[in-house]
Amino acid sequence: MTVPDLTPDEKMEQFRPQEPLGPRIIRWVVGIAIVVPFIWAVIGLEISPERIWRAPSEIWVLLSGMFPPDFDDSGRIVAKLLESIYIAWIGTMMGAVFSFPLSFMAATNVAPRWMTIPTRAFLSAIRAFPELILAVILIVPFGLGPFTGALAIGLHSIGTLGKLSSEVIEGVDDGPIEAIRSAGGTLPLQMRYGIIPQAMPTIVAYWLYRFEINIRASAVLGLVGAGGIGADIVARLHFRADWPKAGAALLATIGVVLVIDAVSSSIRRRIITGQPSTSMLSKGMIAITGAGRPPSTELGA
Amino acid sequence: MTLFAPETQVRPVEPTRAVRYVLPLGIGIAATGIVGWVGPVGPLWGILVGLVTFGVFFWADITKHWIDAVILVVAGILGLSFFDWVLAARTGPVDFKLSLIAAIGWLIYGAATGFVVYRHRPGYRAGIIGFQALAWGGGATLALFTATTMGVLAPLNVRQIDAGEIQALTIGLFVVTGLAASGIGLGANVSFATRLPSLFAGGLVLVLTVMAYNEIQFSTAAIATQLTRVGEIVDDFWPPVWKWPKSVGQPETFNIVQPFIETFQIAIVGATIGNIFALPLAFYASRMTAPSNLAYRIAKGLLNVTRTIPDLVWGILFATAVGFGNPFAGALAMIMFSLTIMAKLLSETVDAIDIGPLEAGRASGATHTQVIQYAAFPQVRPNYVAYALYIFELNIRASVVIGFVGAGGIGRLLNERRNFFQWDQVMAIVIVIFVSVLLIEWLSIWARRKLV
Amino acid sequence: MGFIDFTNTSVTYPGGLVALKDVTLSIEEGEFVVVVGLSGAGKSTMLRAINGLVPVAGSVLVDGREVVGASQSELRAVRSDVGMIFQTFNLVNRSRVVNNALMGRLSKIPRWRSLLGLWPAEDKEIALQSLERVDIVEKAYIRASDLSGGQQQRVGIARALAQEPKIILADEPVASLDPVTSHMVMRDLQRINRELGITTLINLHFLDLARQYGKRLIGLNDGLVVFDGDIADVNDEVFRGIYGRAITPDDLLNEK
Repeated sequence: MTVPDLTPDEKMEQFRPQEPLGPRIIRWVVGIAIVVPFIWAVIGLEISPERIWRAPSEIWVLLSGMFPPDFDDSGRIVAKLLESIYIAWIGTMMGAVFSFPLSFMAATNVAPRWMTIPTRAFLSAIRAFPELILAVILIVPFGLGPFTGALAIGLHSIGTLGKLSSEVIEGVDDGPIEAIRSAGGTLPLQMRYGIIPQAMPTIVAYWLYRFEINIRASAVLGLVGAGGIGADIVARLHFRADWPKAGAALLATIGVVLVIDAVSSSIRRRIITGQPSTSMLSKGMIAITGAGRPPSTELGA
Repeated sequence: MTLFAPETQVRPVEPTRAVRYVLPLGIGIAATGIVGWVGPVGPLWGILVGLVTFGVFFWADITKHWIDAVILVVAGILGLSFFDWVLAARTGPVDFKLSLIAAIGWLIYGAATGFVVYRHRPGYRAGIIGFQALAWGGGATLALFTATTMGVLAPLNVRQIDAGEIQALTIGLFVVTGLAASGIGLGANVSFATRLPSLFAGGLVLVLTVMAYNEIQFSTAAIATQLTRVGEIVDDFWPPVWKWPKSVGQPETFNIVQPFIETFQIAIVGATIGNIFALPLAFYASRMTAPSNLAYRIAKGLLNVTRTIPDLVWGILFATAVGFGNPFAGALAMIMFSLTIMAKLLSETVDAIDIGPLEAGRASGATHTQVIQYAAFPQVRPNYVAYALYIFELNIRASVVIGFVGAGGIGRLLNERRNFFQWDQVMAIVIVIFVSVLLIEWLSIWARRKLV
Repeated sequence: MGFIDFTNTSVTYPGGLVALKDVTLSIEEGEFVVVVGLSGAGKSTMLRAINGLVPVAGSVLVDGREVVGASQSELRAVRSDVGMIFQTFNLVNRSRVVNNALMGRLSKIPRWRSLLGLWPAEDKEIALQSLERVDIVEKAYIRASDLSGGQQQRVGIARALAQEPKIILADEPVASLDPVTSHMVMRDLQRINRELGITTLINLHFLDLARQYGKRLIGLNDGLVVFDGDIADVNDEVFRGIYGRAITPDDLLNEK
């Protein structure tokens, strides 16, 4: 050891503390709280080393069966994908339209307690049902089809969007509201000029974000007969001969979701920051059309 | 009272607001659709559409020159005659390919509208012509394809309908196509000319909503009718039945318990393994900690692609691979589900860490892994724990439904009871799911609050 | 041949900025060298050329090992003998003080041990001793973020010492500290150099600190070495040569 002995008097002054036990105990408790349930779950699911060992080759069989994908019935894939998009779109619209007033009713800085508490309970109740379960229930009155899927997604979106939007409303700066109140503004005026200008960009961004999530949800609703591409993917996976077609449907879904994600997130960034988007997409568009350049003659000027 | 101001101040011109163009645009879009009633007379339709567009351009101060009217009318005659001809000459159904070919007519017309904007709005490149062509053509393709494959005009593709019906449907087709193409196309024209992107967005939203509303056969009437018979529906579901025989002749038992436990086990395995395996991926997918640019791009690309796959699709894939009804498939699906979410959330957190300690670690001769483990990870540890709890919550929600695709858990039972139309038993399962999801959510919120 | 040899050393950053231009000099074992210059003159770059943290061309020999063109593992071997101290301390704020000091041992223990967090007792001992060396051991089990600036810098020094280094590079170690703690940290560094014989290079902005603690002074201006000699030979004329202007109170710590 090259850190040499210290001079004696220095050594006398220094006091080496004991390593505290608290963090160690917490570490052990957390470790046990993770490891024990994990082992219980692994045993319960009968996951054996042999199964794990076999899984990669089984997955490889499936993957190699799906590729190269077979795009023969691309017309049907496009139709079903469009249906998924439409389901997600209507679902998001429903969610946005109905959650908007509800979010004000759930915000503690706008609504009185007797209103916020039941509204919140309602929102978290409908949020607790996954879309698929909602679809299963809604199929009973509304029958099979994309309409049911849109309703299921819409209902669930009301729950999630209502919660997120009410949090945004609660987070706005009080100053402008106070200013309006002191100028004699009523509650509707406070909302219109004090809250909405502050909260709206974030809320709209949440709508778009929800649309991205709903696209994924609507892609699987077909499983229970509620429209969209999901039913096709499942049906084609049942028979080995159809795997290349399943691969095509899967690839198309991934592609569409990627594109929608990219567009939506670049719009969201623009809404939130107020800055022109710097995504590849918008850069490309500006480069092609010249739309980003300042006009040499301003309209009406 | 007068507030006085020094005379040197210059009042700026109020910037143009999108609201000003909404009315002309709306009337223009509606008119383009309505003139579709002239029926399958392409040239006449083209003249009318060209004049309507010119009217909108005139009203929106884009052009007042007669030459532009001529350009638009000529392009309208050319484009819409082509559209009409393709549809009239078809021998098969209106499929995607045919929709694309027919939409070339609108593409030509869109290019002409783009040219007019290009002529009158300095600062734009010629590329705007292509952009406009795509907007009009895209709107037409969308309308043509969706309306004829799944929407109100789908009977067009059925052979056994009489000529009069075909005539009526074709007119409908023209109206729908005109509305969709001009909704997106005219929106884009005015949006470009005025530099107000919200007009384009508004047109797109309008067209998408109308199409979607039609194509999924959204029906407020159905909602109203079903609301009147809520009593009957409730009768089906209520009261919930908690016990039933496993198969004919066997005693009634609580069959929910075992699959319910299995659901939890799937969620636990998925969250634990997924959260651990997400760690290296998350650090590779952040520019701060990636070992090289190549590794960063690969990890980021992998994450972007896997993130598009919904939880249930993972379930289907793994169920197909390792066997239907196998909870192991559910666990694998939940691993992938957790892994992708955690890696994304964590890599975005890593993007914001302090780079100093990393440099200190590198300067002391530590390996890349050591630097990540000792200088980067401690900085994001609290976030990691909070995300892990959140992901466990998501896992419970997701593993509830994963059984629908044959990947084990309570979803499998729900699907089975549903297929037997045992709605009162379904209700019991739904109540269990509802309560456990709520409980887990509260628990997770409580635990995260404790941590902070 | 000295302990550290720069031979026609240049550093060009990816953006094209040439931060160090054709430097040739040699530093003997056990020397205490102060590097001064305006910000942007290449001080930090010069230190980072020694442990290969910047893209360096020419030749840098550290204890007989070439840094230029070295492989990752060769570089790690060089760096493990070179302790570094930073202006912003660069501690892991959320980690405990002793864990920060232990980071200096990372290059000395087997990788599987570091992966599992199983520190050998002797490495823990070395980390604690380094903390004792800078008088901060009583804070060993406290989070680094709970310390004052001066205390944090001492932990930074302890981390470097825990490497049992042959060379210490200190990049503006007192720029974020108040005058009193600045002197304490400088005295610590001086003591370490004298008692342990560790070759020390320090970047400084303040001229009076350089004069007070330095032995040899290297002056940099725009990537070029414009002075290299005994600190006793340094006068106002030399400073003007380095800084391109007369000394102002801003350049002196004690005037602040």
